[in-house]
Amino acid sequence: MSVYGSSPLNKCWAIRLLALLLLSANGLSASQLDQLDGALQVHGFLTQAYVKTTENSFFGDSQDGSWDFRELGINSSYRFTPSTMASIQLLSRRAGEMYDGSLDLDYAQLDSTIYVADANRVGIVVGRYKNPFGLYNDTRDVAATRPGIFMPQAIYWDRVRNMVLSNDGAQLFGDLQVDEHRFSIRLIGGKTPIDENVEKSYLNPLLDPEMEQDGLTLGGRLLYEWDGGRFNLAYSSAQLTLDAETSLLPDGEVEIDYRVLSAQYNSGHWSLTLEYMQEPLNYSGFGGLMDAGDTTLDGYYLQGTYRLRDDLELFARYEESHYDKQDKRGEKTAQRLGLEAHNFYSRVSTLGLLWEVTEGLIVRGEFSQVDGTIFLSNLENPPPQMRSRNWNLFSLLVSYSF
Amino acid sequence: MTTNYRAFAVGLLLCLSSSANSVDLVINRDIDYESLSRNTLRSIFSMRMTQWPNGKPIRVFVMGDKTSQHADFSKHVLGVFPHQLRRAWNRQIFSGMGQAPIKVNTEAEMLEQIGNTPGAIGYLSEDNINERVRKLSVE
Repeated sequence: MSVYGSSPLNKCWAIRLLALLLLSANGLSASQLDQLDGALQVHGFLTQAYVKTTENSFFGDSQDGSWDFRELGINSSYRFTPSTMASIQLLSRRAGEMYDGSLDLDYAQLDSTIYVADANRVGIVVGRYKNPFGLYNDTRDVAATRPGIFMPQAIYWDRVRNMVLSNDGAQLFGDLQVDEHRFSIRLIGGKTPIDENVEKSYLNPLLDPEMEQDGLTLGGRLLYEWDGGRFNLAYSSAQLTLDAETSLLPDGEVEIDYRVLSAQYNSGHWSLTLEYMQEPLNYSGFGGLMDAGDTTLDGYYLQGTYRLRDDLELFARYEESHYDKQDKRGEKTAQRLGLEAHNFYSRVSTLGLLWEVTEGLIVRGEFSQVDGTIFLSNLENPPPQMRSRNWNLFSLLVSYSF
Repeated sequence: MTTNYRAFAVGLLLCLSSSANSVDLVINRDIDYESLSRNTLRSIFSMRMTQWPNGKPIRVFVMGDKTSQHADFSKHVLGVFPHQLRRAWNRQIFSGMGQAPIKVNTEAEMLEQIGNTPGAIGYLSEDNINERVRKLSVE
């Protein structure tokens, strides 16, 4: 017998030792050690991708073929009682010049169900937790749960990944099941770990921007599921304000409001997903041109997947991102800022294949045709003037999780 | 041509007989239920419901994704495909919001675990069910 997929680790003495420590810390008797199977779990994942682009850089020096997309994660959870659980996950993520693979505390949380009646419950999570945002944010770094090799950039930007990734604070959750209908609410409040990717995306990198969060990130998600997830509908939202210092302009602030509407239909063999994102940005205090640069970004993707065999899935996805939702071709923004229009939108068509070799091992292959450069990172690309409008992206991924 | 038809007929028969060999829901005898609703079972097997009404922990046991027993239980009792269930587990495990079910390799092991573990729930073929476990109907 083993906890799903983690048999080698479950038997490891180190885990037993950790378990003993956990138990002694909580004053439980040693006889309860026998009940550990299942209550203490260790899981993890290893992902390596290869990325090749015809122009521009995405997840590394991809024009020459990049191996700089790698994700390693390990987590442990312990269920003290049916209604109390602690969990922690460490993550190393190499993503071109955006992330260097250093070890991060992905989450470390304690969740407690305060009220429970059958499938209905109300509870609280405290610590660092992953934000429930859209359909995929909370497990976006786990290849086995992603809708493709890359997250759809129209909703889940990699260049500003940290903005909604996680929170240090508290989360309230509630689930209500009425016959075939399930309603789930999550309310989040906490500090967002801001990094250089965020700083250099919302302000020009040439200004050496440094940002600090003013107040808390507040938001949440409302999710409706019908018939065990045959149909899902969700609305997510988060607001945050960043105080910014630059080398040139007066100090100012950036107000970000991030909203996503998600819909998904799953039949056994095929599924259809649509997510739409709107993000009003408000700049103030920087003066002149910057403050006048308020905009509302938007974007959406539509993805259809079809299961060819028990272990083989084919998908097609179309996505679009706009820097200004009123200016879908980027022309007005381009005129105002003196750059080419393709810097202010992207249109991506992707075809992909997923092969689930075993329960834990997956292989993906994808091809994308891209028009536009909006989601390219400033950290790994030359200035906007030197980016190419039309480019293709080919990628392969192997991932193992247990 | 006749051989082809015959092979097809035999194949069809095999398919039918293997799907007829369906599994039933079983629980540890300490749980006082005669039946459970499909919605409750979905919450239990997607690892979102963690305790029985008496407050005792629910221990979920499953077999491998590719076993006929697991496929049968997923599709016909829960109404979802094994890959959908696995994704639901992964979503829970890697977001820190839940844990994975416990895997057993054989029906003998399943019977052993369900029989010996308080709060256990799983599935078994009719031939393998005996008085050590309680068979439940699905509403």
